[in-house]
Amino acid sequence: MFQARNLTKRYGRLTALSDVSFSVRPGEVLGLIGPNGSGKTTLFECLGGVLPLDAGSLVQHGRPMSDRARASTLFYLPDSIVPWPEQSVRWAIDFTLGFFHGRVSLREEVVQRLDIGPLLDATIGSLSKGQRKRALLAIGLLMPQPMLLADEPFDGLDLRQSRDVAETLRSYASAGRTMFLSIHQIKDAARVCDRFVLISGGSIRGEGTFEQLASQAASRGATTGDLEEVFLALT
Amino acid sequence: MRSPNDSEETGETAKTAESFSGSAISAPSAVSSFRWLLAKEYRELVASRAWWVLLLAMGPLVGVTFISAVRTYGEASGLNGTTAGVGEAFSPLIGIWAPTFSACEVAAVFLLPFVAIRLVSGDRQSGALKIEMQHPMPAFVRIAAKAIVLLGAWLTASLAPLGAALLWRSYGGSIYPPELMTVVLGHVLNAGLTIALASAAAALTEHPSTAAILTLSVTVGTWILNFIAAVQGGIWERLAGYTPPAMVAQFQHGLIRMDVVVVTLALVIAGLAFAAIWLRLGVSVRRRVQESMALAAVAVLAVVSGGAARPSWDLSENRMNSFPEADEQALGRIRAPLGIEVHLAPEDPRRADLDRKAIAKLRRVLPALHVQYVSATSIGLFEQNAPHYGEIWYELGGKKEMSRATTAESALETIYDLAGVKPPIENDDVFRGHPLAVAPKGAAAVFYGIWPALVVVSAFFIRRRQV
Repeated sequence: MFQARNLTKRYGRLTALSDVSFSVRPGEVLGLIGPNGSGKTTLFECLGGVLPLDAGSLVQHGRPMSDRARASTLFYLPDSIVPWPEQSVRWAIDFTLGFFHGRVSLREEVVQRLDIGPLLDATIGSLSKGQRKRALLAIGLLMPQPMLLADEPFDGLDLRQSRDVAETLRSYASAGRTMFLSIHQIKDAARVCDRFVLISGGSIRGEGTFEQLASQAASRGATTGDLEEVFLALT
Repeated sequence: MRSPNDSEETGETAKTAESFSGSAISAPSAVSSFRWLLAKEYRELVASRAWWVLLLAMGPLVGVTFISAVRTYGEASGLNGTTAGVGEAFSPLIGIWAPTFSACEVAAVFLLPFVAIRLVSGDRQSGALKIEMQHPMPAFVRIAAKAIVLLGAWLTASLAPLGAALLWRSYGGSIYPPELMTVVLGHVLNAGLTIALASAAAALTEHPSTAAILTLSVTVGTWILNFIAAVQGGIWERLAGYTPPAMVAQFQHGLIRMDVVVVTLALVIAGLAFAAIWLRLGVSVRRRVQESMALAAVAVLAVVSGGAARPSWDLSENRMNSFPEADEQALGRIRAPLGIEVHLAPEDPRRADLDRKAIAKLRRVLPALHVQYVSATSIGLFEQNAPHYGEIWYELGGKKEMSRATTAESALETIYDLAGVKPPIENDDVFRGHPLAVAPKGAAAVFYGIWPALVVVSAFFIRRRQV
């Protein structure tokens, strides 16, 4: 779908991202895994075009992506936002569908899958963290871009909701939608992702399927029973 | 680990598989997206308490000024105001509309900025901006949508003073639509300036309170500029002519000056463009600074060239900004440049008198007019005995003549004398005004009772219907 090449972002003297490179393949669920403060959100904000990069570029079909191409290729769903707090969920969904010319035909299905029907008439500001997360995920899934970047899509969800959301995301990925999910809970990541990008201290520490990463970790003499062990070995 | 094929597909997701697999979406219809954005800005406006407070306050503000103006007008009219020469006192423009619409000036300075800041900063604070800015729509178009809605909000608030016009009419008062519309235009432009300034401040700063402080600082800055202009004169006086209070004052006298309109519009567009630049969070700060500097250069160019525009239209019923038509025709025949050297200090009341009664009117009919002010001090109090102080020198076609009078008649007489033009015959058709001795009946009920009640009820139902 595109390659990120040598992305670098600094906040004054602090380097938040250092020469970050990886690739995203069409239709996959790619997980960005890293501890708190590792640069996951910064990377997503740069990819989403809401934060400027200091260096590096996104490349598609061998050429740098323009801002317009990026806007029509990926949609970034930030974490910890309460957009249009005094508007209802129903209206927020209608607005984003109309404003971005989203996938109206999927509206009812997404509402049902994320179980936000009972929340439609509530204002976004009145929702709990988990409810708001599901409402915003609905917006993200309804956007027309072929790729969705979701920052911490499971944050605030209970176990059952996490499983349901994971299943929903997988379902749309199977239907051709590319997902790039920033996740700090490794168990959540293992449940939903096809491939992983491991990030720590603003640098990429590994990229690939579980098997590829496990092999990489094993070469360093680490035990590789699950993703947690692999992650700890590589970061 | 899961693979893409592990999950169960619903019929619908399978159907949409093809539509997801494309590499890029087509550009959304700009017009349709803009309509959605306008609708969203409207909903955000009516959801904001700041807007309803502005609307609520407009009633009592207009009520106080209108009732006071009608009483004063009535008292003066009761003292027999039909004598020629006092017509200006019985012009509704000066007696009623200027004070009544001054409520708009107060609201534009102290209330409207908060409504505008709320609308611009709200998106940033809530995170909605991060979603909306992913639309390829230019940032200027997005800020323009906010400005359009805010202007609509201001026009809605202007229903209060327009209600005063209806009341005035019901009392039997005279309304001269061109001059009333001129006052309204002045306040709309003033609101535009406030919206642009507040938007720029809100886009530049992280927090709404910082934006509010910045906006009020600029407003206080214009007051300081006016003060300096009054003391120093010169270039400061020229600059102060484009501050909101000075701009509104022109319109309140029924005068539309092209330079004031062009400069105001240039500042409004520059303010909104500045806001658009700083709302593009995805662009580096360095580039935004560079773009801001380029914008400032273009704005200065527009202001300087706009400031040179000469046309003006006196739409006051009593032509208070113009010489009598016969004099204007006579002056129009003078082609040579006229120089006036005024030896009066900026704060000398005679200078203000001369400016208002003669020079401002001369500027409108004599394109080649050059005025120079000469004084050693700002107040002139200790210059009274200085040689030449108080003298006004007129120079035309190589001839010079001195006068000490500051009236329009004296200035015209001197100019005609220098130009060798025969003064036109005085016209006895003097504006006698529209005296009206009437009490502001019902105004208190309308502005202190009905208006606030309507606003509260509207707020309740509109906000409830929205959710």
